[in-house]
Amino acid sequence: MLPLPYIYLLQIAIKIRTPLISRRFFSIFLVLVCTASMLTGCGQGRARYTPDTLRVNIGNEPPGLDWHTATDSTSFDVVSNIMVGLTQYTPDVKCKPSCAKSWDISPDGRTYTFHLRDDVKWSDGKPVTAYDFEYAWTRLLSPETAASYAFFLYDVENAKEWNAGKLKDAARLGIKAVDAQTFRVTLKKPAAYFIYLTAFCASFPMRRDVVQKYGNRWTEAGNMVTNGPFTLQKWQHEYKIELAANPDFFEGAPGVKLIRMFMVPEQSTAFALYENDELDFIDNRSFATPDVERYRESPEYKNFPLLRESYLAFNVKKKPFDNVLVRRAFAMAIDKNVFPKILRRGERPADSFIPPALAGSAKDSGMPFDPDLAKRVLAQAGYKTGAEVPAIDLLYPNREDVRLIVEATQDQLKRNLGVRVNLVNQEWKVYLATVRKDAPPLFRNSWGADFPDPETFMNLFTSYNGNNDTKWSSPAYDALIETAEAERDPVKRADMYRRADRIMCREACAIVPAFLATQNIMVKPWVKGIAMNPLDLQFFKTVTVK
Amino acid sequence: MLTLILKRILMALPVLFLVATLSFCLIRVVPGGPFDADKNLPDEIVANLKAKYNLDKPLPEQYVLYMQRLGRGDLGVSYKYVSRTVNDILLDAFPVSLVLGGLALALAVLVGVPLGAVAALGRGRWQDTLAMFLSTFGISVPGFVIGALFIYVFGIQLRILPVGLWESPWHMILPAITLAFSPAAYLARLTRASALEIVQKDWVRTAQAKGLSGSATVLKHIMRNSLVPVITVLGPLTAILITGSFVVEYIYAIPGMGRFFITAVMNRDYDLILGTTLIFAVLLIMANTFVDIAYQILDPRMRISD
Repeated sequence: MLPLPYIYLLQIAIKIRTPLISRRFFSIFLVLVCTASMLTGCGQGRARYTPDTLRVNIGNEPPGLDWHTATDSTSFDVVSNIMVGLTQYTPDVKCKPSCAKSWDISPDGRTYTFHLRDDVKWSDGKPVTAYDFEYAWTRLLSPETAASYAFFLYDVENAKEWNAGKLKDAARLGIKAVDAQTFRVTLKKPAAYFIYLTAFCASFPMRRDVVQKYGNRWTEAGNMVTNGPFTLQKWQHEYKIELAANPDFFEGAPGVKLIRMFMVPEQSTAFALYENDELDFIDNRSFATPDVERYRESPEYKNFPLLRESYLAFNVKKKPFDNVLVRRAFAMAIDKNVFPKILRRGERPADSFIPPALAGSAKDSGMPFDPDLAKRVLAQAGYKTGAEVPAIDLLYPNREDVRLIVEATQDQLKRNLGVRVNLVNQEWKVYLATVRKDAPPLFRNSWGADFPDPETFMNLFTSYNGNNDTKWSSPAYDALIETAEAERDPVKRADMYRRADRIMCREACAIVPAFLATQNIMVKPWVKGIAMNPLDLQFFKTVTVK
Repeated sequence: MLTLILKRILMALPVLFLVATLSFCLIRVVPGGPFDADKNLPDEIVANLKAKYNLDKPLPEQYVLYMQRLGRGDLGVSYKYVSRTVNDILLDAFPVSLVLGGLALALAVLVGVPLGAVAALGRGRWQDTLAMFLSTFGISVPGFVIGALFIYVFGIQLRILPVGLWESPWHMILPAITLAFSPAAYLARLTRASALEIVQKDWVRTAQAKGLSGSATVLKHIMRNSLVPVITVLGPLTAILITGSFVVEYIYAIPGMGRFFITAVMNRDYDLILGTTLIFAVLLIMANTFVDIAYQILDPRMRISD
């Protein structure tokens, strides 16, 4: 059936027939258009989904599937489904045994001995051994690999020296395959969070023969050898990746036979594809805020907080923020409840830098919202009114959601404290370079967890961390973090991080925690078993499409 | 003709050299580097990365290395897409852009030129008003609005065409029309202006006076001569269309090379920026050479100057 708009268009076209275009041409054109419409029209009757096939959108081309050089969540979303490591994350981000069936920790907390299962196979049928881990970890740390995530294993004995090229003998690394089933790791100091690192992509095993055979192309479909629930079947660059079920996966074959991962960068297109039943599952990458509003009540919609926190940071070496009273006044003048209201993606206001899902988080770690007290504290600092404070530059990267946040901050500081704030925006990489080199007095930043432990957040503000752009340093804080890293009693450890969080966010007030980002997802009714976690890693092995 | 082509090839070499040199310098002046990310890497790791890509060497040495590689036809490696070379990336993406751009170009010419001719021949009448309304609309409304509108109408409401992706010939229709929209409008205006000028020429009156039929005058005398300015813009237009469009590829999720013109700069992916720039320069030079050849076929007076 020819749709009405087509008929109108054709009528108009026939009327404006020109001397150059004959009536016959138009008849042919008409027939062609009718055939085309009928052919595409047939498409409407197609099935809404294919059983056992999951179609998702990963947004962009993964920069690389080599888990040593990959650094971004798109690559990890693919790797997490084709590989498993010594341990695996559970949906509530604990660690459970995987390639390792068990492990022993030496009394001094420095030596981990992993006992490997003997039934884990690579996709070409060879068994996964401790030697594959030894090769992988050595390669990750090798200077030639130039892996960004090499620092993940810097806790391993001599790892940093070997990675920096100062140590030439790889045998002195604290990494040893004792036999095919036993893998031993020696750390330079006890690290209570170490076990979490063994579930992360960067620490997965790798096959020396495959890497050596194919060189840089070992991650292409057909070359790649993996050990996870799925295998890489097809990789059409910048367009889609197809993962096929691995029937020999040691935990049993996954619930779907095929995953088609499309790379649709534009949110509204991806959302339209979902609405047209051409995608079965979408997340933030395919969600514009108005779509969240439209579907908030739908049973297909879900929202949950991630371990990613946005915050405002002070450069404590720059005036007026070299005075802790000014920092506290600013922190108390910002009502964090405003952020979720303007961003409208279900964000959670943050009271502390450690997110509530992790040990050590406490509601009173940060400064409360109290505009009256803020004014009094500002007066104590020597500014009778906010107008006396020189105008402050607030730097932010050029992104729509960030612009909304900083505008709200500017408004709150003006309204509650009478301070003038100028918004300065820079292109993303220029912004990064500026903040690294010479951070302005006030800037917006965010941090996402690498592993589910408070350490990933709290280490950030130690005086020796390269990402601490606030220039704030406190020997007491540094000492507390170092003790907490080695502490094996979880209760004592949580308490140490709680104290450190309070020192940083309340006493020294180096940053103002703002809110936790959330993941928004839509799942079609025929898809079951989507397991999401606050680390934002997507594991599809439990999913079924019926 | 052969001398013209040879001459053009010889002239192209210094132009490409200059383009490569200028781009090489410009991208290194921009603040921020390829390895800046929201998580700052330890110095040891940045040093390893720089060593891997020769970015630790002094700039003049990097330049010499780059030019040597370029001489061998090697456009370098991507820092963002870690295990892929620039040649690989562009070889994957260019054919897609070529197909889409070729379709859009054909569509733009087939719609734009007749529309302009109709407007010129019916000057001041309703055909003219309608054609010029359409072309003003086409020039003023940006591609992302037209694309979104098409997706909404044909993809979501009518459900007769796919809203995106690159799976079958049906998937090419909306993006090709979106991409052709603005060039078609531009060509229509250009053809109209040029044809109006030609219609008033003495030799057109002569042709009519000697009893040539209406359609023969239009096709052989008016259109052929009014196509010269159209051919002139077709050179750069071809280069622009077949190297892809960021907007169209983005909204329809098409794996072409247009996106790299933007994303490579955002990622400070130096070799990829240079690669895309050079490919564009080569295509532009080629297209302009074809334009020069077309001139000679269309207008015998131009053959003398060669």
